[in-house]
Amino acid sequence: MGASQSTPKVTAQDRAILDLKLQRDKLKQYQKKIQQVLDREKEIARQHLAVGDKQRALIALRRRKYQESLLVKTDGQLESLEQLVSTIEFSLIEVSVLHGLKQGNEVLKEIHKEMNAESVEKLLEETAEAREYQREIDEMLSNNLTVEEEEAVEAELKALQAESVSESPPAIAHIINVRVQATEREAEQAPVELPSAPVNVPVAPEVYAEPIPNTHEEEPEQRERVPVMA
Amino acid sequence: MARSTHTTPSGFLLPSIHSAEPFFTQQPNPTTQSKQTETWSRLILSYARHRNLFFVRVEDAETAGGEWDEILRNERIKRKVMPPHLSHILSEMVAKNQAAYEPPKQTRSVLLYWRLPEEWAEVLHQWVTSTGQLTTILTFYEITDPPVPSPLSGIPAVLLRKAIAILGKTGRAQIISIADGEGARFFAATGK
Repeated sequence: MGASQSTPKVTAQDRAILDLKLQRDKLKQYQKKIQQVLDREKEIARQHLAVGDKQRALIALRRRKYQESLLVKTDGQLESLEQLVSTIEFSLIEVSVLHGLKQGNEVLKEIHKEMNAESVEKLLEETAEAREYQREIDEMLSNNLTVEEEEAVEAELKALQAESVSESPPAIAHIINVRVQATEREAEQAPVELPSAPVNVPVAPEVYAEPIPNTHEEEPEQRERVPVMA
Repeated sequence: MARSTHTTPSGFLLPSIHSAEPFFTQQPNPTTQSKQTETWSRLILSYARHRNLFFVRVEDAETAGGEWDEILRNERIKRKVMPPHLSHILSEMVAKNQAAYEPPKQTRSVLLYWRLPEEWAEVLHQWVTSTGQLTTILTFYEITDPPVPSPLSGIPAVLLRKAIAILGKTGRAQIISIADGEGARFFAATGK
């Protein structure tokens, strides 16, 4: 009872196939027997000849010939039986292929129900609208920020310069200073010579964003921390 | 006492103890006897594995000309295992599950388990899988006598049925019987 739950039931078809196969086995065994008789008869014939009994040898050989014809006939029947068995097994495979196709078809139909053409179109439209809207917003924002970004960048550069001057050797500091002077015409900064306390007072930038925090170099009154915009 | 190993005509290497006369006499001392029986059991099982034999009977010791002569007799030292001795060895083997009385309820003939039925079940399932015969209906004859020799060629129907029963417990085989004979169908191992 428990076994038949995990293995498929034995159908009448299965029994029919088993029957066919058993018949085929019987034929095979019969063939084996005939082959043995054949060999034995050949031996007997040989023995009779050795004794000189041609008559008996002839009889044995004739018997053998008859058995051989039986064998040939059995071969033919065996072949047709085996063909039948193969055809049945093949049609069983075909049935299961068909079954599989049907199942796959059903699954596909179900999926298509969820995915009808109208809802897809609507979705695409909405996505296009959203993208347009996003583009507009981007444009508006970019117009506003250009000037402010510029000032923030300049302030960052000044802070960086102050920092690097206190850490790096004079030569590099000089190069940095040269570069800084090249970009900032209006800011008159005296070149710092040695890694010592900076001479120039950093200017508090009038921007919304706070530059790189440089607590140890800014003077106390400059330490007005503007809240950073997230 | 130079005993030597000897290779039989069938290609089986006999251990050197097989050339010792006392080996063929049932020893009285319990310790020696148990050692002797153990050696004989091992010898019988490995010979059966070598020659693919499944049955050994007490009559193989009684009469010559059987399959077991190479083991149960040693012509060079003119000794052979006596029937009562063989009977004793067989009963010990059955007790240790190395063999089983087959047909049951008699003590003259045993079916040897040089491979346990569980192992036969695995070999059987592997053979069916590797020849692509899963879910095909097979007759017993097809399994014991396939056109291409397999590890299962010549297995007695009794042992085959036991192996199939073991596979049936794990849902990997089922026996189909009709009036004319029996067959079996095998399945791939269910997710376990």
